[in-house]
Amino acid sequence: MNIEFGPELESFRQEVAAFLDTAPTPAIREAGRKTTSVFAPFEQAIAWQKILNTKGWAAPAWPKEYGGTGWSVEQRYIFAEECRKRQLPPLLPNCLQMVGPMLIDLGTEEQKRKHLPLILSGDVYWTQGYSEPNAGSDLASLQCAAVSDGDDYIINGSKIWTTLAHHSNRMFMLVRTDKTGKKQEGITFLLLERTDYPGMEIRPIIGLDGFPEQCEVFFDNVRVPKSGRVGAENDGWSVAKHLLKHERGGSAASPALLHSIARIREAAKATQSPFGGALSDDPVFQRDLGELEADILSYRHFEQLAISGHPMVRDAAYPSMNKTMNSELSQRVSIMMTRVSGIETVPLQLEALTVGSNVAPLGSDFDLIAMPYYLNTRATSIYAGTNEVQRDLIARTVLAANR
Amino acid sequence: MDFLFTEEQTMLRDSVARYLDKTYDFDARQALLRSEAPYSKAAWSQFAELGVLALPFPEDVGGLGGSIADLVPVAEVFGEHLTVEPWAFALALAGGALTAADNHAAARKHLADLISGASIGAFAYDEHRGIATPAQIAMTAAPSGAGFVLNGEKRLVFGATEADFMVVAARTAGQAGDPQGLVLLLVDPRASGITMAPFRTQDGRSAAHVRFDKVSVAGADVLAKDAHDPIAKLISDAILVLAAEVVGAMTALLRITGAYATTRKQFGVAIGTFQTVAHRLADMKIAHAKAYASLMYSTALAEAGRLTARDVSVLKAQVGKMGRSIAEAAVQTHGGVGMTDELSVGHYLKRVLAFEAMFGAPDYHFRKIGGSTSESVR
Repeated sequence: MNIEFGPELESFRQEVAAFLDTAPTPAIREAGRKTTSVFAPFEQAIAWQKILNTKGWAAPAWPKEYGGTGWSVEQRYIFAEECRKRQLPPLLPNCLQMVGPMLIDLGTEEQKRKHLPLILSGDVYWTQGYSEPNAGSDLASLQCAAVSDGDDYIINGSKIWTTLAHHSNRMFMLVRTDKTGKKQEGITFLLLERTDYPGMEIRPIIGLDGFPEQCEVFFDNVRVPKSGRVGAENDGWSVAKHLLKHERGGSAASPALLHSIARIREAAKATQSPFGGALSDDPVFQRDLGELEADILSYRHFEQLAISGHPMVRDAAYPSMNKTMNSELSQRVSIMMTRVSGIETVPLQLEALTVGSNVAPLGSDFDLIAMPYYLNTRATSIYAGTNEVQRDLIARTVLAANR
Repeated sequence: MDFLFTEEQTMLRDSVARYLDKTYDFDARQALLRSEAPYSKAAWSQFAELGVLALPFPEDVGGLGGSIADLVPVAEVFGEHLTVEPWAFALALAGGALTAADNHAAARKHLADLISGASIGAFAYDEHRGIATPAQIAMTAAPSGAGFVLNGEKRLVFGATEADFMVVAARTAGQAGDPQGLVLLLVDPRASGITMAPFRTQDGRSAAHVRFDKVSVAGADVLAKDAHDPIAKLISDAILVLAAEVVGAMTALLRITGAYATTRKQFGVAIGTFQTVAHRLADMKIAHAKAYASLMYSTALAEAGRLTARDVSVLKAQVGKMGRSIAEAAVQTHGGVGMTDELSVGHYLKRVLAFEAMFGAPDYHFRKIGGSTSESVR
């Protein structure tokens, strides 16, 4: 065994730290502090991506030939860790972590040449068109239909939970091209090069935190070119499954969780316990915070084993275990935040939450985001396959070991 | 970074596993528990033969010059087989205490005998309802002439009645709560004034409560003075290997319960097809993954000499908590048959709960973690 990152990685860490200490603008830092979801405020997330791209660091996980960094897994973890330590806004995952890697693996040469540079530079934003009102966890039952017409498809139906679609100018989506066979076998994967095609309408959905993050998208005889298809017609399910691997796996989430614990501990020092003294000295609070931190540390150890290439990452249940642990720890962190903030969670502060706003928070920055973060974090056990679906997949590996 | 065992560590683990697979299955263990024997002498000599007893000790006394971390892979196998031999207490605690002494003739002799398998040692540490941290030790070793007089009681001393030597943690000054004034003493278990109340533990081990009534200890038998830190190190070592044993038990529980849910039928189908049961299996696997990851990470830290008290608290609390959740879920999944002595799952539960209770229960460690400043993220 060897716990050390090694001296070359320590000097890498210093190089990263030096850049991260100076490169982000004040607005980008403010956006980081006001991030209450896995999706950071749109404009600043894009601005930060453009700055990182000038350094060549926008897509650490991509292969070097496509504009990635060529970093090792350890280097990528260190980079993510240093970003989280500084509470910088995370880059929007749809492009860099989802459609980009999928195209690198499965796209045609032309699709790669056309799309990858724009994804990297932050000049386009791709929204994901998967879920439908009647196709959530049971995604394969999707009905939004594409009918072949010469060199085009004509799309009718609707998509929902299309994140930030109101800011998007591209969409990757799943459509039904065959209704006759098994439901997984009649799905096609399409890239849309516009989100303002005639007949296409985007309606933002106000979320629990009061902001529009998700959208609904309606298609009324929308004509799109077939050149945007990835893989064969009716073979979109395997493309989507491939992409889900990118959505679920390869995480560096524990640094952000541990950073939150440190902020909770700080906030508790400034909070009065109803029994007198500071909340941070309250034995019950200490016990509960310690239980949560210990569980996050076990998850950190799990992540460290994963980045070291431990055989456990080849377990078919690994991505689902990672998603379940990460999402449920985030939710417990969010509950602990609201517990410390107490009645300060009650005021609705939409203006103060907006980046660049001149409305000051009513309490601390911590209190400002506690409730919106809690509310948004309810989604973590729902999106990307509900945790019920993940547990089905995990259980399958326990049972399969005995068949 | 890498969190894999070396080829040598793996080879030793596999030899121990092969031996236990042949001689120490659940039925053999049940027979051992029904006999009068405190543990299997045959297994103990085999452990000596394979080098397990020599593993963590210095070469100049016949050891293999390894570290406590080298015992982790073997301990996992011991846990899977629910072995009742007092290896962790004799090696990590009693044996470890002997190595804390500088150039001590009697300690070297006992160590050599421990390594060869000729003798075993016991470590007298716990008191009343358990001691989470060495500072809480209350039992007195009052200075008397050139030596000390021991008075008081030690609880849950593993292998006490079989021990050829005993190491006692006591205080020469101060009172419970004071980290100063602690001492480690080498004591003859047959010394005058020592009485034992022996018992088998819930999880099949041999132990005793040991009463000390004016027991004289020579000044030469001090193994360590100002012993708070040495004792804390011994406890940390013991927690690491006992946690490894519990993770081994958790591995077995996950496997056994998965197999049961696949074959056991009710309402005409395998019970694993019910989502409630399936999700419980998923939670068991998640709990196992967390405990396993913390064990591997802590082992690597220990090997690098970087395992802090806070790291040990995380390991102790997490493995205790996750172990309990897995074992209780295993009993529930087995239904009525899980309640019987003739099935192994309940025995694993009892092993896990014994670990959870010792050296500070999860609540103690969680509060310690929550009340201390978190280290920098790396």
